[in-house]
This record gives sequence, structure tokens and C-alpha cells, in this order.
Amino acid sequence: MNAALAGLVVLIIGDSHMVSRDYLITTLHDSLTQQEAVVHSYGMCGTNAGDWVYPTKVSCGRAERHAKAGPIIDRSQRPPSWSIDELIAKHKPNLVVVEMGDTMAGYGQAAIPQAWIYGEIRTLTGKIKAHNLPCVWVGPPWGNEGSSYHKTFARVKEMSQLLSQSVAPCSFIDSTQFSKPGEWPTTDGQHLTSSGYGAWGKGIAASIVQIASQSSAKR
Amino acid sequence: MAEFLRTLAALALGGLLAVANIGSVSAADERLYPSGPPNGVGYLRFANLTAHEVTVVSASARIALPPSETGRVRRYDPVTPGSELNGTVQEGGKSAPIKVTLTANEFVTVVVTNARDGALSTALLRETPSDFNAAKSSIALYNMDEGCGDARLTAGDKQTPVIGGVAPGASGRRLVNPVDVALAVACSEATQPLAAKLGPLAAGERYSVFIFAPPAMPPQIVALRDESAPLRP
Repeated sequence: MNAALAGLVVLIIGDSHMVSRDYLITTLHDSLTQQEAVVHSYGMCGTNAGDWVYPTKVSCGRAERHAKAGPIIDRSQRPPSWSIDELIAKHKPNLVVVEMGDTMAGYGQAAIPQAWIYGEIRTLTGKIKAHNLPCVWVGPPWGNEGSSYHKTFARVKEMSQLLSQSVAPCSFIDSTQFSKPGEWPTTDGQHLTSSGYGAWGKGIAASIVQIASQSSAKR
Repeated sequence: MAEFLRTLAALALGGLLAVANIGSVSAADERLYPSGPPNGVGYLRFANLTAHEVTVVSASARIALPPSETGRVRRYDPVTPGSELNGTVQEGGKSAPIKVTLTANEFVTVVVTNARDGALSTALLRETPSDFNAAKSSIALYNMDEGCGDARLTAGDKQTPVIGGVAPGASGRRLVNPVDVALAVACSEATQPLAAKLGPLAAGERYSVFIFAPPAMPPQIVALRDESAPLRP
């Protein structure tokens, strides 16, 4: 264990990768909890970064998890979205972790919608910045090609590059660095199997510890 | 925003309706969800570079663009790529048509100017930027002054070149560090630079500087931070 996260309140928000029991809402949440952080996780399936700022309805489920309790999965029809402002006010985090990319990358489109993606990112990071909170943005994993999600390795690489230059002042964690393309099996081209979510969660947590340690050293 | 989107919807003759549906999910497979707007997004704005108020008119809406520093240039609004947008711009009894089709990721500014004989005209400034960077500031210089053969954006007392060689009707863009520096536009080494007042540059923001000269008037500058309306279903 590294003491860098001990006692910190960490707020994690993300997309569908956070909305099922064996997904990051378990593996990342547990990994950060093992570092003695107090973790609050929220996932909204199929949402974009701006949906955490502008109220909307969630199309395919949402989930939340708090500290050492289990995940609460809500599969009701189109529940309301959570607001980043409200979550920050409620939990008063020391660190915000954003996991998002697959819902915005334009899989199946000829060109990545970079201007729109940049706007979505800035909408969310602007809110986090207004609270003067450090943040970390986690990009998408490779996934598999040839699915109905039309995810391709080339677009994941392109999206990761765009995220790397767009998420400041958040630090960026490039999830493609944790595995080779196609190495982690998926159930549908986009969502990983349990072993993949385990590896991804541990990789993200290790990166967050490293980022937090570097921040502590600077202070 | 609502006012402008209504106008664009009218101009697009339903084109925006396609954008409004981007959040829908197939009932047959609830787990499938979109990854961004299905057809991409283009961005459209209007700039009134005349000495008078002009009005953008569509079948169902009218938007006035005053000739003031803060009102000349509208924010960008998202539109559906591939849909032809039609309308007119009017000033007094004069009018000029607007007809434009954007491509995905394209930013288009419809510039309204007066010709030397007073006739109203429009020009399209088209750009597909790829310099999005949250650590830098992006500045564009648009030269809409026919008498300015070589527009340059400079910084500081030493007039350090930032953007140069912009011909009439053209534009230039550059990523710069987000600093607080006095910017100015000059047309040649000999002319006195005109201040482009953007204030302190902020990281991640995009800025526009226009140089223009209505008939029988000296060159003027309008400088602003670009804004875009969010695309919400």
C-alpha cells in the first residue's frame, strides 16, 4: 500500500464501464479503497461528459457505490442524470476521477468528432476546475474490433491522443498503455470480461497512486 | 441559445432535427448506445462587419446583429453536416442570400459586409481545425479588409509576429501560450497597428480577431473569445 491516497475522498464518475457489478465500479473502487481512500463511484451508461453538467435522462442504466458498501445498480427506464456540481457538494472530494471516452469517440463515423468532443470535455473539466479540485481523466481501453459498437483500434488510438491534449487541467491516464490491442477479451467489443476489468482497474489505480505521489512530492 | 437554434432549425429546413435525435437508443438493443453524434457536427456563426445593424432572416425567425463590438459576432451553433442551410441577411431594403452546407468538424463564419457601392454581401470563412489543446490558446486572424494586403497579428511593444501573411478574404491561426499580452493587427510594416483587445489569454480557449473596413471608414478590429452553444438533445 502507498500512503498517497490514505484518507483522501475520491469521487469517480464514468460511463457504462462503471454500471455493471464486475466492472470498474468494483475493480477500480476496490483498488482505491485498498489504498485507504474513501471512494464514491457513479456510473451513467451511454452518457457524454456534458451529461454530468446539463440534466438529461440516462438511456441504459446507472450505478453508484459508496465506501465499503456494495454497488447499487439502477436499470429503471431513463433515470435522471447526476450532476457533477451536486456530487462534489455532497461528497467534498479531494480528487475527481473521470472515466470516459467510448461514448464520445464517434465509432462508426468516418471522422472523429473532435470539435464536439473537445467541447464536451471542456464543459466537464470547467466545472471541476471551478471547484479547484485535482482531477484525473481515464481514457478508453482497446476493446475488440468487428462488433456492433464499431470500435476500432485506430479510433481508440486517435481518441486517446485527443484526450491527452484536451483534458487539462486533469491528468490523463492512457488506458491503451495497460495492454496490447485486443489482449483483453470483451463480451461485445466494448465491455471487458471480468479479468479485463480487474486488470484495467488495477492499472488505473496504480497510475492514480503515482500521480498522487508526484503531486504530494511537489507540495 | 433557444432563439438561435430555432433560427438555425428554420434555416436548416429540418436539418437540426437529425441532430436532436442523437441521444436515441434502439429499442431492440438497449445496451447499444451512440458514440457521439451519428453524423458528426458542424458549427455555424454570423459576423456583421458592416456599419449598420443587419438581420439574419429565415422562414420563422429573425436575428438582429448590431454593429457593436460585443454584438457583431455571434457564438457558434451546432448544425447537422450535409444539410443545406438557407436564409437571407437584410439591412434596410438590401438583402443577400445565405446558402451553406457544412461538413463534419467544420467551423463556418458567415461574414456580412458592405461593398464599396453599399451593396450587401456575404462571404463564408471555412475552417476545419485540428489544434484543440487545453494547455494552449488558439487565435485566428481573419482579414476582411480589402485594403489590407498583408495582415499580421503582433504581440507586445516589440510587435513580435504571431500570425502573418494573411491576405484579404483569408485567415490564419496559431496556438500560443496562454499569456497576458497586448495584441495588435497591422497591415504592413509602415501602418500603425490597431489594438486587438482580447484580455489575458486563457488555456484551452479559442479566439477570433477580425480586421475589416466598412466603405469610407478606417480599418477596425473586433476581437473576441469564441463561444459555442452546447449540442444537447
